[in-house]
Amino acid sequence: MSVEVSRRKFLQGSVALSVAGASAISATNLFSSENASEHKSTNSRIPSTITTKTSTAKAEHVPFLCGICVNKCAGLARVEDGIITKLDPNPYFPKNRNMLCPRGNAGIQTLYDPDRLKYPMVRIGERGDGKYKRVSWDEAYEAILNGTDKFKGIKQILDEEKDNRATIGYCNGEGLSKEGFEVLVGEKIGSPNYVDEVSICLETTLGGYVNTIGTYGEADLTNADYLIIAGANRAEAIITPDTMDMFKRSKGRGLKTIVLDPRFTNTAVKADRWYAINPGTDLAFVLALTYVTIKEELYDKAFVAKHVEGFDEYKQHILSHNYTPEWAAKLTNISAKEITKTAREFMAARSPIYYQGRRSVFSKNDFQLRRAMAIFQGLSGNLDKKGGIVYGQKLQLPKEDVNAPIYGQAQARFDKDGIAIPSLKTGSWIVFRNMVLEGKNPYPLRAMFMRKHNPMAGVPNTKKTEAFLKKMDLNVMIDILPSDTTMYADVILPEASYLERTSPVASYGGMEPAIVQRKAAIKPLYETKTPEVIYKELAEKLSKPLWENTLKYDEDVQDDTEGMSKAEIEQYYKENGFDLAEPWEKPVHEQNEERITKAYGKKAWEILDEKGVYYPHMEEYHTQLNPNEFEYYPENKKHYSTQGDKLKVKCNLSNLTKKGVDAMPAWHDDMEFSVPAGQFRLVTGRHAQFTQSGTTNNAMLRDLIPTNYIWINNQVCEKMGIKFADKVEVKSPIGKVTIMAYPTNKIAPNQIFMLHGFGGSSEKMELAYGNGANDALLIEDKIEPVYGAAVMHDTNVEIRKV
Amino acid sequence: MANYGMAFDYKLCINCHACEVACKEENGIDLGAKNHRLWIQEETKVSGDFWNLDRDKVEFMQMQCQECQDAPCMAACPNGAIYRDNNGIVRLHKDLCDLTRACMSACPYNARYVDEKNHVTDKCIFCADTRLARGETTTACQITCPAKLRYFGNLDDPESEISKVLSSRKHFTLKPEKKTKPKLFYLE
Repeated sequence: MSVEVSRRKFLQGSVALSVAGASAISATNLFSSENASEHKSTNSRIPSTITTKTSTAKAEHVPFLCGICVNKCAGLARVEDGIITKLDPNPYFPKNRNMLCPRGNAGIQTLYDPDRLKYPMVRIGERGDGKYKRVSWDEAYEAILNGTDKFKGIKQILDEEKDNRATIGYCNGEGLSKEGFEVLVGEKIGSPNYVDEVSICLETTLGGYVNTIGTYGEADLTNADYLIIAGANRAEAIITPDTMDMFKRSKGRGLKTIVLDPRFTNTAVKADRWYAINPGTDLAFVLALTYVTIKEELYDKAFVAKHVEGFDEYKQHILSHNYTPEWAAKLTNISAKEITKTAREFMAARSPIYYQGRRSVFSKNDFQLRRAMAIFQGLSGNLDKKGGIVYGQKLQLPKEDVNAPIYGQAQARFDKDGIAIPSLKTGSWIVFRNMVLEGKNPYPLRAMFMRKHNPMAGVPNTKKTEAFLKKMDLNVMIDILPSDTTMYADVILPEASYLERTSPVASYGGMEPAIVQRKAAIKPLYETKTPEVIYKELAEKLSKPLWENTLKYDEDVQDDTEGMSKAEIEQYYKENGFDLAEPWEKPVHEQNEERITKAYGKKAWEILDEKGVYYPHMEEYHTQLNPNEFEYYPENKKHYSTQGDKLKVKCNLSNLTKKGVDAMPAWHDDMEFSVPAGQFRLVTGRHAQFTQSGTTNNAMLRDLIPTNYIWINNQVCEKMGIKFADKVEVKSPIGKVTIMAYPTNKIAPNQIFMLHGFGGSSEKMELAYGNGANDALLIEDKIEPVYGAAVMHDTNVEIRKV
Repeated sequence: MANYGMAFDYKLCINCHACEVACKEENGIDLGAKNHRLWIQEETKVSGDFWNLDRDKVEFMQMQCQECQDAPCMAACPNGAIYRDNNGIVRLHKDLCDLTRACMSACPYNARYVDEKNHVTDKCIFCADTRLARGETTTACQITCPAKLRYFGNLDDPESEISKVLSSRKHFTLKPEKKTKPKLFYLE
């Protein structure tokens, strides 16, 4: 093979790397005392250079769990003289199999990001203008409780609202300390109004699969021999172990791979066949696959007879609707011949998998799409077995009971408008926000407690999120970086990053289950504190004053405590959970030790604490295969089949009908893909070098992807006179952005694509600020009807060169 | 004492750049697109229009110093700054380098760049003064790779993993016409 080698070619090779230094430089950065291009800190705990060559001297290797994305890979932090110089993969965790992705490797740059939140701050300017005053931790807690001349405190708000705890809302991003925040604001302070990443991410996927086959499951890509993967870009949106397992076996190495994606992605590069499906029409494709399977009786008859419920109705439903390949071809842009061939190949394969997918809701029919996919998988019989969708096993951890007080005055959550099955736990971000903005909430929502969450970038329609945050009397943010959303906080509490904290132990189920512990590699930098310490201290500050408020307004508590002595009331307060700080009496590390020792014994704890990973028989099972790879469980100990007769595939969910949801996946005419002439369908996605807005200020990653571009079909560009890096205005019904163009043949003429997470509005993040465009300014705030989850690929836009 | 080489199962690459970041963090390489000891090259652009993409030729190639047995850089350096260490790795006496850049011009693989921090030319040395110096047996790029496509080891040891891979699988080297005899191999 003849290969031309060139650095220049590398620099020009991929669009991500083709324009260097597209950043906007903010003039002053009050949050940062250091220059972003070098570390000029006088702090002895900050390395002098951005990258630090590892030395030959002795170093500690502290097991951590990566916090750069939601995936949670295990690693070892190399610590030299209190400085983390390198992050290496941890060879013991079966999930990431001794690897770290580019983002995981670049975690050091988030730890030592000069723009990090370093000390508590209280707002002295107007919301969004970035004017804050540095305060002590106690002053910050005091401001949350009693407010300042700029904003009201929680005590006054709850007094005015007669102890209705539901007037407080809260949100949180994914992570190991998320549960603690839910305990604090939800169970302890008593707010039911919680929203998080679920309703802007994979809610319909989880819901569709769990309601159909009882689990989301794990795709055994090591042993499957046929894979349909639709809209899941595993080469660029890395998930372990799926990414590792899949690409080792694609392209003639045992796993025949069919990729469906409106774009030609790096995953499509690795496919045997790639179908450029019309956005939002996957359901028609799956229904047609099902049609062929049923019509030609290709399904696993023994499996269907034993495990598939409602099959006869489903068969009748599919055939009578004539979901033929010819019908689907017009909708999907995949020919009838190809659909038929794919269905036949799938059902003839030994171990076929229709990959469940993950990410966001594509279109309004997403719940039904996932149901149809799960049923189709069921028809193959390749469930709960080696090479299929596997249920696996989870290593149980002792449950921690929370003594949650009951607040008589607290009302129920309200975000139910237009939703068939409202989630009581995580709600719907869009419906919650929009009902407040439209005044449809039955009682006022007055405060937002936020942590590690950036709805200004993550929830469609940024302008509405901004208006929502401005409407609050009090916004509190716990985070590590001054995100776009942080700029709307009244009180900012700086958190220690994942490399500076020991987190609650977590258990990861699957074929090769394991328990993991993230351990602090270094002490928290600056004045930051670990989340659990923040929860504890904030709880201590709020506990008594809020209890006084409950005593003032809560008739049940008044009745209960009537005639009690001071000491008896104090006892009542403790026994009934009104002491908010009680869950954090013991430090995290100590709690971890207690829980693991209780469940698995002292030896297990010692292994976990030293290696960061534990599973029964680990020392016996874990073997090195070669210098770089390991076996975690011997073949006969992997949990491939765990369900037995319990296994059920549910075709017909008739109880959904009364909620207005189709009992069986069905196509409706309004699901058809259409783009008016002169417009384009906006699709968004991820990249292997970025995790949404959370990493756009990471110097190392930004070096790999300086900015985001808008992908426009090259022939369209020719017609419109648009060249590479030309500025283009993109306009949707809700807003507009300006972004540089990338003409390419990898996208269809009626679609455009941009990476999610760019276009930061916070001036305090020097590298992210004003760099590229924020897709949440364009994506319309539409919801799908089952859970109220955000629909990401249903917005048409206009573009013009500027 | 070893004779180190590397082999790439190059078709497994997903172009994620984990190797590049791991290299920079391990070896303290400056940020900046030009400062790379290794890089991933997108070989052959996708041609055709969207509906008829010619997509089969797309490959992601791992690029870095090819560790030539007959190294043109070594011969080109007027200061004799370039030498081969006792593990067979082409290295640099940093104090002898005065940035004539003769090595850069001589290298057929574009493997060298100017390390402005240390005022020398730099290239991949298989983590010789970091990981190997500590007695580790893997390179930073190798261990972190999600595709596990890099084999590294002693070519003189017939029992090493790399020797076994090279004896059992077809492979090629880059620019054989230059007669540099690289110790980096691309597996078919």
